[in-house]
Formats: sequence, C-alpha cells, structure tokens
Amino acid sequence: MKKLLIFGLLIFIGVEILDVLSEVPFGEDRMKVSNFYLEKSPEVLKVSNVVTAIVVNFRGFDTLGEVTVLFLAAAGIGSILYRRRSVHTELNPKRTSTEASNIVQAGAKVLFPLIILLGAYIFVHGHLTPGGGFQGGAIIATGFLLMLISYRKFFVKHSGVTWIESIAGIVFVGLGLLGMVYGGTFLENFLPAGELNSLISGGIIGIIYIAVGFKVGAELTGVLDTLLNISQDEE
Amino acid sequence: MVIADPIYYIVLPLLTAFLLPLFGKLYKPLIGIIPGFVFLFLAYMSVILMIDIRPDNPIITKIAGWTPPFGINLVFSSFSGFIASLISIMGFLIWAYSYKFKKVGFDDSLKYFILLLLVVTGSIGIVLTGDIFNLFVFLEITGISAYALTALYRGRDGAEAAFKFLLIGAFASSMILLAIILLYTQVGTLNMAEISVRMHEVDLKIKVLIFILFFVGFGIEAEMFPLNGWVPDAYSQAPGPIAAVFAGMVAKAGIYALVRIIYLMFDLEGAFHLLLIMGVITMIIAEVVALRQEALRRMLAYSSIGQMGLIMIAFSFNTEQGVFAAIFLMFNHAIIKSLLFLTTSFLVYNTKTKLISDLDGFGKKMPLVSLLFGLGAFAIVGLPPFSGFWSKLYVLIAAANQHMEVIIALILSVSVVEIIYYFKVISRLYFRKASEEIPIQKPSLNSSIVMIVLGLIIISVGVYPDLITGLIENATTSLLNKDLYIEKILPGLAEIIN
Repeated sequence: MKKLLIFGLLIFIGVEILDVLSEVPFGEDRMKVSNFYLEKSPEVLKVSNVVTAIVVNFRGFDTLGEVTVLFLAAAGIGSILYRRRSVHTELNPKRTSTEASNIVQAGAKVLFPLIILLGAYIFVHGHLTPGGGFQGGAIIATGFLLMLISYRKFFVKHSGVTWIESIAGIVFVGLGLLGMVYGGTFLENFLPAGELNSLISGGIIGIIYIAVGFKVGAELTGVLDTLLNISQDEE
Repeated sequence: MVIADPIYYIVLPLLTAFLLPLFGKLYKPLIGIIPGFVFLFLAYMSVILMIDIRPDNPIITKIAGWTPPFGINLVFSSFSGFIASLISIMGFLIWAYSYKFKKVGFDDSLKYFILLLLVVTGSIGIVLTGDIFNLFVFLEITGISAYALTALYRGRDGAEAAFKFLLIGAFASSMILLAIILLYTQVGTLNMAEISVRMHEVDLKIKVLIFILFFVGFGIEAEMFPLNGWVPDAYSQAPGPIAAVFAGMVAKAGIYALVRIIYLMFDLEGAFHLLLIMGVITMIIAEVVALRQEALRRMLAYSSIGQMGLIMIAFSFNTEQGVFAAIFLMFNHAIIKSLLFLTTSFLVYNTKTKLISDLDGFGKKMPLVSLLFGLGAFAIVGLPPFSGFWSKLYVLIAAANQHMEVIIALILSVSVVEIIYYFKVISRLYFRKASEEIPIQKPSLNSSIVMIVLGLIIISVGVYPDLITGLIENATTSLLNKDLYIEKILPGLAEIIN
C-alpha cells in the first residue's frame, strides 16, 4: 500500500513536470551571453576551441571548483566506502582471482604507452581541437585501469599521485594569482595571446588545461586504485 | 593586487588544501599549523572588509577580467559579507579548537584539515558568488567535503550516515542542476542579477517549477522538513567539531542560498507563504522529536533543525523587522549551537553510551564544560541576558507587527518544549549524584579557550546587543534593496525594467 502510494505520487510529480517541460521552447535564440563568447574567443583570446575558452577562461573559476570537487571525491571515497583498505602486500589476492592471460598482458603493455600518448595529445591540444584536460585525464586513467586489471602486481604509487595532483592544483591556482598580479583580476589571461590556431597560443589557457589534464589523470587513477583495493571481507 | 580582496576567501584555502599534502611530507606538524594561519588571515580580512562596507557600496570582484554577466563575479555586500565573515571567524575558532587532532593517524588528520579548509571555502563561496552555476559548484564542494567529514572515523555508523547524507545531497544537487538548466533555457544567462532583471519574461508555470526545484534542493542543505533525514545521523556521527561546522556553516550557507533566491530572483508572492509553512512544520516536528531523544548529540541535532525552522519563519515575513530578526538568529544560532556542540563533544567523550542519562553529576566532574553547556542552553532557549533572548524577541515583535498571533503562540509554546529538554540535561549535570568514578578526559587548553571565547561573545552580545545590531541592520537593508544589488553589478540594467 505504501509502495503504491509512493508510486502514484511519483507518477503525479512526473506528469506535472513533463507538462511544464513540454512548454519549454526548443532551439529558440537565447544566446546573449553565448554570442559574446563566440565572438571574443578567436578575437581576443586567440583560442579556436570555443568550449575550451569558456571552460578555462570565461568560466575558469567554475573549472577550478570542479577540479576541487574531483580532488575531494578522490580523497573522500576511501572513507565513505567503509570496508577497510587492504595493506599494500606484494600480492593482493582479493583484486583479481586469476592472472590475466598472456595475450591480454602483452596487449596491455603495447597499448599502455599509446593510450598515455593519446591522452597527453588531447590535453596539450585542448585549445585547438575538441577535448581538453578533463577528457585527456580520463583517457590517461583508462590506461592505468588497463594495467591494473591485466597485472596483479601493478600498483600505483600513492605518493606519486599525491605529488602530481598537488602540483597541478598549485599551478592552476598559482597562474590565477599571477593573473591578479599582472592583470588585476584572478585568472586573468596575462600572457600574450599569440596567433590563432598555433600550438603556443591562448596565453595561460593551454597551460591551465595541461595542469587540469595531469590532475584529472592522477585523481581518477587514484580513485580506480582505491576502488580496486577495497577488500571484500568484513573486518 | 590588494591586501583584502574577497577572492582570497576562495583562493587561499584552495591553494592551502592543494599544498597541504606536500607540507605533510616536509614536516608533519605543519598540516595542523598552516590552516590556522589561513583561517586567521581570513578572519582578519573579514574585519577589515566589514569596517568599510555599507549597503550602498558592495565590493564586486570580477574574475578573469570579464565584466558581469559575461564573467563570474563575487559580491561582498553587507549581507553576504556578514555571513561570510561569520563563517570565516567560526572557521578559525573551530580550527583552534581542534588543531591538535590526535585521535586519528597522520593520513586521517591530513584529510581532516584539507576537508575542513574546503568545507569553509565551499560555504563562503555559496555566500559570496553572484553567479548561479558557480553557486552550484560551491554547493558541491561543501557537500562532498561534508560527506567525507561525516565518515572520517570509518565506523560502520559513520559510513552509514555519510552514505545517507550522500544520497540525499546528490538528490539535492540534481534538483538544483535541473533548475539551473531550465532557468538558462528561459533567460540565457547565469548571472544572478541579470536573471533577476529578466525573470519577468519567464512563463509563470515554468517559473514555479524552477522555483520548486530550487526550493527542494536548497531546502535539503538548510535542514528543512521533510528533507532533513541526514541531519541527526550526520551530526551525531561526525567528529565533534564537525557537528559545529555543519550547524555554523553548512546549514547557514543553505539557508542563505534559499533566501538569496527567494528575495533576489523570484518575484513570487507564494514563495514567502511556502517558506512560512515549511518553517512552521520544520520547527514543530523537530522540537517535538528532540524532546524524545536519548542521545545528547541527536537531541542537539533536532534542536538545530528547529532553530532553522524559526529562521525560515522570520525570513518569510518579508519585512524589514523579519529579515533583521532572521539574520540575528542566524548569527546567534551559529555561535550558540557551535558552543553546545563543542562542549557536548567533551561531555559525550567521557560517557560510555553517549546518552543523556549518563551525564549524572558531570557538573562537578567537568565544571567548566558543564557551565559553558548550561550557558549555551540558556542562550539558545532565549533567556535574558544572553544573546539568544534578543533574536527571539525580535522574531516575536516582527510577527506581532504582521498580526500573526498564531505564529507567536507557536513560537512561545515551542520555546517551552525547548526549555524542557535542555533543562532535563542541565538537571542531570548539576542535581544528580555521579554514579561511578571513571577517569575524566580534561579539555585541552586551546579548546577551553575557544569555548570560553564563544561564551563571552554570547554574554557580551546579550548585554550589549548594539555591538552587532548595526551590522545586521546594514545586512537587512542590503538584502531587501534588490535594485541596488542589480545596479551595482550591472550598471544601467535596472532602469530597463522599471
């Protein structure tokens, strides 16, 4: 009875919301702020990927916040998913019950550097081509995931992860503060914008996206490692 | 580059949080000391900024050099500045209370200080930002650090409380995100001042839906009934000082966001009625449930929900007196509830069961802590000459001027309930014989000083309310004067609609 009531209530709320949503016009021009971005990105910032210009410069403050959210998620996941973390032993029997086959292992070895290279390519060219720090970082983390599931003895060094994410975060905030010193406001693009469509252009935008790439890669790798190392038995 | 700029509220704690793991590798005690300097600087900066701030000259900080509405901006007005200063000073006090965090190992105390820095940053960010999506980002920062802090001790109960908190919080976030998306499809901007200007273009039906989504989302953070299931568990499972952080900062940021949205962005008459109804229900249910609690910290958690209900009632009057009373209540609740949680932390630590019935005779065993707990209890109930008396009086006056006799009667009867359950604890502390002798963990010097400082603030504001009323009056004017806010952020835009 109680479940039925909840179900009915949910349907009622759903219908009401749908009713309103169906009235929201689609494709109508509400592009006041967006047109400004489209215009200024190539002209002033010399960044051909407008999405990157918005993410790192116009709304760079949000991105700093999102990077912090990821940092927090990586730090907090261990606490919230209770079940004590197993100690780093040489062989962690809980992780995979059997060793992956030779084909998988050999393939992983070949693919791993290529995946890292692809990830690095994507975040270095964040201001020129689609993609950027978040996407590149996620690709790098998949490379590490491949290694983690192929090799039982492959461990991610935690101090390394900590160093990378701390330094990348400091670079992001530090560049923002330098923008305050040389430009007047936080995150202001104080470096010369350069030439449109060349690798070294866009001032601090490219550098920040590279830092974001490192940070996201390190954090997602840390999260994956934490998740894989949560032991299954109660303690 | 100037010495005092609102941007430092966000940037310095963030930078420190990223640096802290590296400091830890350098020299371990640094992780406890460095955050203290940051908090001290923020508290000092708050004082400098608050001296000059008047309702007609808010500080608008542009970010990345783009003027609003194209870039994100921070607004340090009399109202947002007052709440931000309150949060940063509370942050410093809570750091001073807990900087020798010895109960857990190095890794966990590193985590504790990082999370403490970030929960303060997030709460201040919610208060200062002038951009609705940026507000969402800071809400996420606050939320996720709060979940992780709840589970810091890694017990089964803590993990359960944190998981519950996480589920409810994620629900709140998605509601708010959906509301922001809908809002953007309607007005094409994320700047709160410009949204306020363009709100009249939005169809009423869509406007109401957006409002309800926001109301539910922020209601969860502001501990509104029936969305407050996370509160008692999170407050009782988190480390002692963190319960004070939740009461003093997270809940304050939630109610701030709710009020900001109702007063600035939505010109809906019904919004105030809804806030009033929800406030009354929240207050009554929480106080009645608090009466039946046996665990001390759960009782305080329910009492905290009740106080948030009272704040919502005061904001819902939509008059100068109501807003004044509400902001005064926010201040008092932050100070007094923090004192109660900080003292309770020591009381509960020395009992086996954490129940109220275990507190017999603690007045002799822990004289200072018991005395300060009693002071906090008297103040929160609203007895003179403590600061809680004035805020409750102003709420009643505001209600009387609105001719809301039923509300007055309700607030007074709920106060009686409050008196009953707080005095139940006090009578156990002072008028019962201690059952057995167990070794007592004495409060350390730094935490005693923090608790005494809070107690002194309560007494001095109680005796001299003028210390604080000037600031609160400015804050009230600043919140109610919507056109000024818009004019300062977007010069020339306010006239277009009028």
